[in-house]
Amino acid sequence: MKSTALLEAQAVKAYYSTRQGYIKAVDNIDLTIDKNMTLGVAGESGCGKSTLMNTLMMNVKPPLHLMEGTIVLDGKVISKMSRYELKNNVWGVLVSLVPQSALNALMPTKRIIDFITDVIHHHTDVSISEITSRAKKRFEELNLPGDSLSMYPHELSGGMKQRAIIAVSTLLNPRLLIVDEPTSALDVSTQKQVLKMLMDLRKTSIIESMIFVTHDIAILRQVADWITIMYAGKIAESGPTEYVLFEPKHPYTVSLTSAVVTPEPEVRERGLASIPGEPPNLLDPPEGCRFYPRCTKSMSICRSVEPPLVKSEGAQLVACHIASGDG
Amino acid sequence: MIKDLLRIKKLDASLAIFIGLILTSVFGSMLYATTPLAVVGPAEQPPSVEFPLGTDSWGRDLLALLLAGTKNSFRIGVTAALIALTIGVVIGVTAGFKGGIIDSALMLVTDVVLVLPSILLMMLIAAYFKERNPLYVSIIIGVTGWPWVARAIRSQMMSLKSREFMYLSKMAGIRDVRIIVEDLLPNMASYIVMAFVLLMSGAMIAEAGLSMIGLGVTKGVSLGIILYWAQILESVRRGMWWWFGPPGAVLVSLAASLLLMSTALDEYFSPRLKGG
Amino acid sequence: MLLEVKNLTKVFTVGLFKRMEIVAVNDVSFDVEPAEFISLVGESGSGKTTTARMILKLLSPTSGEVIFEGREIFGLKGIDESRSYYKSVHSIFQDPYAAYNPLHKIDRVLNQVFNLTGHSGAERDRLVKEALKEVGLRHEDVLGKYPHELSGGQRQRIMVARCYILKPKLILADEPISMIDASTKASILKLFSKLRDEYKTSVIFITHDLGLAYYVSDEVMIMNKGTIVEKGSPDDIMNRPQHPYTKKLREDIPLFYRKWPGF
Repeated sequence: MKSTALLEAQAVKAYYSTRQGYIKAVDNIDLTIDKNMTLGVAGESGCGKSTLMNTLMMNVKPPLHLMEGTIVLDGKVISKMSRYELKNNVWGVLVSLVPQSALNALMPTKRIIDFITDVIHHHTDVSISEITSRAKKRFEELNLPGDSLSMYPHELSGGMKQRAIIAVSTLLNPRLLIVDEPTSALDVSTQKQVLKMLMDLRKTSIIESMIFVTHDIAILRQVADWITIMYAGKIAESGPTEYVLFEPKHPYTVSLTSAVVTPEPEVRERGLASIPGEPPNLLDPPEGCRFYPRCTKSMSICRSVEPPLVKSEGAQLVACHIASGDG
Repeated sequence: MIKDLLRIKKLDASLAIFIGLILTSVFGSMLYATTPLAVVGPAEQPPSVEFPLGTDSWGRDLLALLLAGTKNSFRIGVTAALIALTIGVVIGVTAGFKGGIIDSALMLVTDVVLVLPSILLMMLIAAYFKERNPLYVSIIIGVTGWPWVARAIRSQMMSLKSREFMYLSKMAGIRDVRIIVEDLLPNMASYIVMAFVLLMSGAMIAEAGLSMIGLGVTKGVSLGIILYWAQILESVRRGMWWWFGPPGAVLVSLAASLLLMSTALDEYFSPRLKGG
Repeated sequence: MLLEVKNLTKVFTVGLFKRMEIVAVNDVSFDVEPAEFISLVGESGSGKTTTARMILKLLSPTSGEVIFEGREIFGLKGIDESRSYYKSVHSIFQDPYAAYNPLHKIDRVLNQVFNLTGHSGAERDRLVKEALKEVGLRHEDVLGKYPHELSGGQRQRIMVARCYILKPKLILADEPISMIDASTKASILKLFSKLRDEYKTSVIFITHDLGLAYYVSDEVMIMNKGTIVEKGSPDDIMNRPQHPYTKKLREDIPLFYRKWPGF
């Protein structure tokens, strides 16, 4: 494993087993998260980004199976660990995941502090008073009102709940934090508060690295150093934010970045791009490049040979025959 | 959905008991040779090979009486339940959908009927009719049993009315009545089925109650009538268990199986009750 | 003038013993011309959906008027007047999960509008298939299915298809593309433009997305806590915002071509 890497995933395949066969949600993916990095993972519905997040932290149970591949986190091969080991030594301790709609996980009959003590007790033998004081301290560090700990979920706004949940996920000081669509249900001003909090977590080194999953590329523009674009279970392009967003190499990335709708004059000038068709069925994906059926620039090789993820002309990696100059 | 329903043990068991009893009575009364009300043997005999359930004080075959009586109780129960269901649903739907003055007026009527002691009401109406055939008895029971149905359907209607899927139909210019029938009633169907089951159970017991005070059908036999005779001839004190036992047991089984059915249906349609 | 909204107000009274008044919509007024795109922008709870419901005659106002083509809509009575109103004014609902009756196939949502247009038989089939094609759906994929068998994006597109069949004079589109993937949003917006260019349809976009409003509208109205706090062209709103709420909204939207200071 590279010395600068915090997490390394190699040749990872995670499939869902169904009666009709395997849904190849994550298909042969290599991904590296460096120390001190905020990685943005973007893609549309069905691209596999949420499945990938669960797989990266080995939260894998049927019908999801890790078919192949290794995942090394902080030097430990977590893809070989048992669920017991993961619960005690990895989850919450090395890596924490705040899933989509985590807001709904809060039981309406428990106060926030009770929720926290429940969760932490699961992992360690730390005493309740110790947990409470740690929680108070962490909340203060993150500018969350201390009295929110003794409140019930319905007494808190959506934004407060989300920030509280994120704060709780950092209590055992994991090195890597994964957040999946943390702001999609929030209004714009609350969203900015939550994003600022996530940035603060990195700035104050409470969290070493972060993966931010979203379909909203404009958010990633603001928070991510590195961006990975996923399409149909594979990585299409991956590299420094400025390069991927403003000098995209993969035709899908080009379309995606041309479909961003923000209130800026550039958007009006450029117009909104649209791609015809739909992503492929992952039960039986096409042989060659998965974007081939919808691509306007394809060559004949694209139909039969899957493009590997390689270095492009720019600073990023891209999985495209045209961009990498084949044929 | 039918397949899922049949997988629920409670429903299977209760449905089996209920249908079993009814079918036995229907076919039994057709196949069993003895005419129920005919005097066929010595009076007050305990069960024997010739008379499997013995005879009553007039020498009539109690098995024949039980079969015919169960069949009639069922008929009255179903008819009364249908009457009560129709009245309750129509009033509930109208009040819930229209709201305003119509709602207030209908609920006033409902509350009045709800508050009147149904037994008294039934007694008054029953006493008025010198001749009471099964249909009259069904009507008597039906017109006193609907208020809770109306209230419940009204609540369901009011909550469904503000669900968004109504809007699409409204904006298609569809008349209110059609919206109720096509959009709203299907979403209440499960509740209406449960209400019907409960009404049947209540109706059969009400019939027995009416009959035991002598206000049941004037001709013919029902479970309640058998119990009435059993009671006025002091069968309990005189130990003639074969007279009051079987009809009582059948009545309780019918009512209990219906109640169990409605509980099972309720659990199926409201998953929250299952302990979630 | 196609639509005039004058001093529209809606007050909800809640509570059993301690009755509280919630002013959901407070003295809202605006106009819409034919072939015009207007956006009503606000966060959840701002009153924009309630305003739309009143314009659609699905909710009656506490006070105020809505005048469509010169006639006050709350005075219209009877099924024929209703039908004629809905033929000209229709809606796309925000929540594709709640807006469908779960017990019916989605075909019903499309076929219902023929009650307003009077088409029959083969003509209906043709119009349905054409509309589905325009919204990017294959009719084999969606006809005959129940709502739970389709995705949120598909359900949203079917509602757009419904409006396309009708070609009304005014569409109230409540978050019409929120569930649709970024790469296909533009095609739906193009469809609205097509309706405007060919049939002079006006659209009131109801959304929290200022970016969408900026891109697509001729006029933008910002709504907060039941009132319209600012009205103007997209340029005015973005470059010369007057109201503090608008200014804050502008600051907090994640931009693509510019970075937030301090991030």
